[in-house]
Amino acid sequence: MDTVSLLKCLSSADSPSGYEDEALKAIEENIKPYVDSVRKHKMNALIAVKNGQNGKKLGIFAHADEIGFVVAKLEERGFLRVEPIGGIDPKVVISQRIKIFTKQGVATGVVGFLPPHLQKDDQKDKVPDYNDIYVDVSCSPLSEAVSVGDICVIEGRCTSLGDRFSGKALDNRASCAALILAASKLEIIKNRADVYFIFSSQEEIAGPGAVSVAYELGLDEAIVVDVTHGNEHVPQMPPIKISEGPVLAVGPVINREFYKALCDVAKRHGVRTQIEPTPGRSHTDTDEVQLTRSGIRTALVSIPLMYMHTPVELVDPRDVEETARLLALASTVNL
Amino acid sequence: MKEVKALYLKELSELDGVSGDEERVRKFIEEKIKDKVDSLKVDVLGNLIAFKKGTRSNRKFVLAAHMDEVGFMVTNIEDDGTLSFGPVGGVDPRVVVGKHVRINGELPGVIGYKAIHLQKKDELLASPKFENLRVHIGARSKEEASRKVELGDYISFATDFRQENSRATGKAFDDRAGCAVLMEVIEQEQRYEDDLYFAFLVQEEPGLRGSAVLFEQVCPDLALVIEGTTAGDDPGLPEHQWATHLGDGPAITFMHRGYVVNKKIYESILQVAQKYDIKHQPKRRTAGGTDAARLAKTGGGVPAGVISVPARYIHSPLSMIDLGDFENTVKLVSKILEEGEGFAR
Repeated sequence: MDTVSLLKCLSSADSPSGYEDEALKAIEENIKPYVDSVRKHKMNALIAVKNGQNGKKLGIFAHADEIGFVVAKLEERGFLRVEPIGGIDPKVVISQRIKIFTKQGVATGVVGFLPPHLQKDDQKDKVPDYNDIYVDVSCSPLSEAVSVGDICVIEGRCTSLGDRFSGKALDNRASCAALILAASKLEIIKNRADVYFIFSSQEEIAGPGAVSVAYELGLDEAIVVDVTHGNEHVPQMPPIKISEGPVLAVGPVINREFYKALCDVAKRHGVRTQIEPTPGRSHTDTDEVQLTRSGIRTALVSIPLMYMHTPVELVDPRDVEETARLLALASTVNL
Repeated sequence: MKEVKALYLKELSELDGVSGDEERVRKFIEEKIKDKVDSLKVDVLGNLIAFKKGTRSNRKFVLAAHMDEVGFMVTNIEDDGTLSFGPVGGVDPRVVVGKHVRINGELPGVIGYKAIHLQKKDELLASPKFENLRVHIGARSKEEASRKVELGDYISFATDFRQENSRATGKAFDDRAGCAVLMEVIEQEQRYEDDLYFAFLVQEEPGLRGSAVLFEQVCPDLALVIEGTTAGDDPGLPEHQWATHLGDGPAITFMHRGYVVNKKIYESILQVAQKYDIKHQPKRRTAGGTDAARLAKTGGGVPAGVISVPARYIHSPLSMIDLGDFENTVKLVSKILEEGEGFAR
């Protein structure tokens, strides 16, 4: 499958934190041909293993969950209220279709917004928060089936924009795609260590998932793959750009030796990389995976992405491919 | 529940026709109605006027709906290949972020926003400003973008139409719902007593502009404007401020900005609705305006009435109407025409 089709397939899976099954199913189908075994972990993670030769264990992590909502209240006449799962800017929620996973199937509602004609002037400077945002599900034949506790996502749509790609949940399905592509490359780039591709859960709410798997596997090294802000001006930081290759984080939560080895292997094989100084925590699974058991040598590789946590996240598929190449090469590194 | 088949609503809703760029909508309507009317013309501004001769021809009766929708225009191509844009018609910047759009009816783009992680606390709930929003079309540079887009190009929301549970959701029901009503009336291929002029108008949103040139061309005796109007019957407003209710039938306007509806016409509409037991409701707010205000002011003045399909969340990428209301609007307009010279006499 080409990279854009893979991104489309993974972006289309609806899997908010805790409900990763649909994404994991799509991932399993795509990675199966390239690995020796695939198994499900009790914390709703998927572990795909490609055996190596030197007895060491390298874990490559990507969280499979996405941001979403849960139905919090039902009101009369087909209206309901939601609470976010993970950080969702209320600004991007307005005027979206919402898919609600009821016990009887998917109900589609819309987030309503007053037209300018009916607004008061003193309301215009403020965006409603989740106290005031409402979903109108009167347009669904399943409106009566919606219950408090039903999981929801913003309905996504994938679009190729020139040679770039936009859609929902590319945080972190772009990384999941990179892991699958990396696995496919291990036929040619022979991995030394056993490589565990781990598609983990509940990252968006800083919950369990990656750490639980890291604990059980007893890894020697780990690479966490996530997305980072591309083409965004962040004060004091070097510009990180989409289309300029995978991003290697450097800082206390990253093993310096491993980082340098990755920089080195990238350079030798012509993978263009960018550097993201991370003076504190990275707010990815890296922060906790490093501290597992007696400590794991951990690196963080990120795919640059624009408009994170919006339904129009944007990546360059070439960055996904180059990240995959770097990950495959990482399996040949001897620390 | 009975399925309403709204013949052209889906296609009309999904066509892009921001004010000043109505050609796609006009061509579609022209193609569908040309064999069902006596003559057709497109005027200097782009209004499509279809004529249907009456059996008595004592009056000229205009039925009007506007083809344009709110949207945006490309105002600058930035060095990084993104597009700056401004609203055409009344679009609240709060409905714009995180949406897929189309430029010139075909080229896809997205309107993103700085990630929530990078926003300061006071920014999170502050209304976005158009000056800070960009359309991204995947171009890496101004040069690359300039090969695909020109200044002045039009931008529409890329929303697909859905019809479920006797409700329709999609964009541009203001006023493609009105266009669809007129097309269904034309579809019936009836001949009525009055000479009928079906006017599919341009540029309603930027200030009732297309309707301004109608009088000179038609000299109508009376007019009926068919709109998709504000509902507001949702948690966004306390109940006493609702304007119309979805499902309660076509909304009949007493007065709106700049015009108190001609009493004879207003009362006649109500009488027809009552006579044929067609579910209807008064519009309970006077907010907003329609081409009726312009028609009343042009030439020697055209007495005009307003009948609307209630719509929630208009002027956004995703609005909602009740298909029963749509059907009842078609029925009410048809019955009004059947009344012939008895209507608003």
